[in-house]
Amino acid sequence: MSSFKKTYLSLTFFTIFMFSFSYMLVPLYDIFCEITGLNGKTNQERVLVVNENPSERFVTVKFTSTVANSAPFTFEPIDREMVVQVGKIYNTFYTLTNNTTSVKHATASPSVVPHEDAEYFKKIECFCFSQQQINGLETKELPLQFIIDNELDNDTRTLILSYTMFNTTDQIGSK
Amino acid sequence: MRISNILLMVIFPTAALAEWETNMPRGVTPTSEVAYDLHMLIFYITVVIGIVVFGAMLYSILYHRKSLGHKPAKFHESTKVEIIWTVIPFIILVGMAVPATKALIMMEDTRDSEITLKVTGYQWMWQYEYLEDNVTFFSKIADESNAARRLGSGVDVTTVDNYLRDVDHAVVLPTNTKVRILLTANDVIHAWWVPELGGKKDAIPGYVNEIWVDIKEPGTYRGQCAELCGKDHGFMPIVVHAVSKPEYYKWVGIQKTNRVAKNK
Amino acid sequence: MSTDIDKLHDDHDHGPSSGIMRWITTTNHKDIGTMYLWFSLIMFFIGGLMALVIRAELFQPGLQLVIPGFFNQMTTMHALVMIFGAVMPAFVGLANWQLPIMIGAPDMALPRLNNWSFWILPFAFTMMLSTLFMESGGPAAGWTLYPPLSLQGGDSFPFTILAIHMLGVSSILGAINVIATILNMRAPGMTLMKMPIFVWTWLITAFLLIASMPVLAGAVTMLLTDKFFGTMFFTASGGGDPVMFQHIFWFFGHPEVYILILPAFGIVSTIIPAFSRKRLFGYDSMVYATASIALLSFIVWAHHMFTVGMPLAGEIFFMFTTMLIAIPTGVKVFNWVATMWRGSMTFETPMLFAIAFIVLFTIGGFSGLMLAMVPADFQYHDTYFVVAHFHYVLVPGAVFAIMAAVYYWLPKWTGKMYNEGLGKLHFWLTTIFVNLTFFPMHFVGLAGMPRRIPDYAVQFADFNAIASVGAFGFGLSQLLFVYILFNTLKKDVTAEDKVWDGAEGLEWTLSSPPPYHSFEKAPKVD
Repeated sequence: MSSFKKTYLSLTFFTIFMFSFSYMLVPLYDIFCEITGLNGKTNQERVLVVNENPSERFVTVKFTSTVANSAPFTFEPIDREMVVQVGKIYNTFYTLTNNTTSVKHATASPSVVPHEDAEYFKKIECFCFSQQQINGLETKELPLQFIIDNELDNDTRTLILSYTMFNTTDQIGSK
Repeated sequence: MRISNILLMVIFPTAALAEWETNMPRGVTPTSEVAYDLHMLIFYITVVIGIVVFGAMLYSILYHRKSLGHKPAKFHESTKVEIIWTVIPFIILVGMAVPATKALIMMEDTRDSEITLKVTGYQWMWQYEYLEDNVTFFSKIADESNAARRLGSGVDVTTVDNYLRDVDHAVVLPTNTKVRILLTANDVIHAWWVPELGGKKDAIPGYVNEIWVDIKEPGTYRGQCAELCGKDHGFMPIVVHAVSKPEYYKWVGIQKTNRVAKNK
Repeated sequence: MSTDIDKLHDDHDHGPSSGIMRWITTTNHKDIGTMYLWFSLIMFFIGGLMALVIRAELFQPGLQLVIPGFFNQMTTMHALVMIFGAVMPAFVGLANWQLPIMIGAPDMALPRLNNWSFWILPFAFTMMLSTLFMESGGPAAGWTLYPPLSLQGGDSFPFTILAIHMLGVSSILGAINVIATILNMRAPGMTLMKMPIFVWTWLITAFLLIASMPVLAGAVTMLLTDKFFGTMFFTASGGGDPVMFQHIFWFFGHPEVYILILPAFGIVSTIIPAFSRKRLFGYDSMVYATASIALLSFIVWAHHMFTVGMPLAGEIFFMFTTMLIAIPTGVKVFNWVATMWRGSMTFETPMLFAIAFIVLFTIGGFSGLMLAMVPADFQYHDTYFVVAHFHYVLVPGAVFAIMAAVYYWLPKWTGKMYNEGLGKLHFWLTTIFVNLTFFPMHFVGLAGMPRRIPDYAVQFADFNAIASVGAFGFGLSQLLFVYILFNTLKKDVTAEDKVWDGAEGLEWTLSSPPPYHSFEKAPKVD
């Protein structure tokens, strides 16, 4: 093969590789986020097996909510703040109200600060990313069961969990 | 504005600071002060490097010219010299990196905040929620500014007080209190920035970010949205009144009594 | 080696075709270089006009001329046009003209692909610029296209994305051509470390293009599918993240800015030795420094995103790598000064632009170093301080280098000498106005004026007025440049082969202008 052809082949391959690399960045970014808790992404997978191992430590957990794109919902945490024992399971819930008279679909996305502690906020049962169907003027209770992992950094005394509720009625499908 | 004035401002920014608004404010929080000090340190270092390099160039331009009969030298490489002017800048950079890293660690430490203020960016206004006290309100650009800024409004904007930097419902925070500020958004990415309070983080829909402030001086501090968010990005200002703790709690009490309905 | 060259060369000895078909069908690197350069000049004025709309509105506080939505279209398009329509095509034009004759090759490796790479551009830009006339207007989310804002775009959105894809294809094909040419078609005896430095900088730039443009293509395709095909790359409700776009975009975006400056470094490294009558100081070092900058450019991208809420470790990492990239850049500046030092300098127009480049680009480098310091960057980010920084490295940086190159090589390309007095006048007007325009932006940025706003608080008025005056002065001064170009082309006087007595390189062995087909037989290089 002439040196020209070799050049063209390798450069074309390199171009295609870099294009696919940009798509590879997508799962790479997610993996990196899960490992490091970057920007507060908590565990996507529900924690299946949980061993309660209550420690001496207590931390404050605050709960907050946002409705995205001014959707016609009212979305609030029942508990605004809890003092919890690290290593123990707790239950709380959020309420979601559909302020319109027609059926809507809604999906919530969680975020935790401090970001580097997000991986220790383990959700056993939550409504993250699951599309909720909610009838007109209905109010639903969305349960959350969580445990703060014992590995939580010793210096952290407060965690804040935020949910953003999106109106996903028009979406073709979500996770 | 003469060239001499500009040069003075460059070399003596402290003199320029008060009247001519040419420099960053030192601000009223530990984070703003550390940012300012780092800024000035790097600035002075670059001025010195500039003087040395441009000085050498100027000398060369003046004396190493053909018109003066100067003959060109033959040298064109020196490994020793290359090493020297690689290592010395590296050492200078390490000298800069140390205070910068210290400052950054301090700025990112939001632990043990007394109060949490949640800020939500909207197109085109801010919503504030004081988490502990459950006080919520929207904050829009003040009517006078909003009317004056319209194309063809006919208003001389220099007559409007705090033009483009005034709101209908300001944030109130207590001085000498570590306040954690949560940032998120309703629609697109915004950014909440008050220069004198230091720190800036993006407000991203679906996610929360956080910064902290500890305002040492009472006063009124003004800022603006700092991430392009659509047509009125330039028209969603921020006003923070910093008052003593007792005054702050009095204000909270009043807010709780008149729960202002959400108005958009 | 010579067999390959013979194969590439068609067996004809006629000159160029005549009329418009010459330009549409040409596969000649000199013709294609000329087209790229004229295209770039036209786009420079179009982008400049947009800048003047911006500066006219910002001349005084209050809104006088345009509505905010249109202002955002102007800032977005100004950047897209200047980056992809003016600076990049100008460098490709210079590459086309200069690379074959600097390495003693008869043409580029793929002459027909070369033609296509050029002709994509007018089509892509016609489409992009036409979006300004749509009812919903042109793109207005900034050239950085951050979602979710960019996904709110109207009808212009798919056309903008398609145009960007076309530009990317043009650049990638051009880069493949450049690499194939440089690696395979050098005259015998010209080893890599004997190549003219401009050839080196373009070789490295071409690799950066191939590595980064496909990533931009991926990023904008993700935007397109998010908007039209139900993907959720950048929406939190679907498990996506708007910040991920920023990471992917800037992974392209940072190498992109080095694409915009490395050829300029090559130009300055050519001109300074020529007019100092002294060899470039530290040729090897300059090559290694350029390569280091290119490699480091892949690990600094998040310094464009320090305020997104990265983990502390990330902020520290990117702060350090960004500071590190200052070192090879500084080394290059020192080498240029050492080239001048104890030289025998004359100050014709190309040299004036090259010297101004060194000073003013370095000032842009200083503000860049300041921006690298994350705690301080929290105060600079998204303010006019950043605008000042990148305009200093791009205007008295890249654009001055392009102008220097045009003055330097124009007599070779056309065989006619430009008017030196007018050239100097153009230089001085341009330099004074460029500083008047962009230096005050440092001040208003530090004082708290954000970017991308059509109106500002009254305390920012004075410096904005100065900047606007400077911008109009700068724009008018470029009309002088156009006059100089046309004035030169009209002349009768022919230039010598070796136009500049300090100039070195194979191009100066050719006539001015060079024959339509040069180096059909490879020259010997010692």
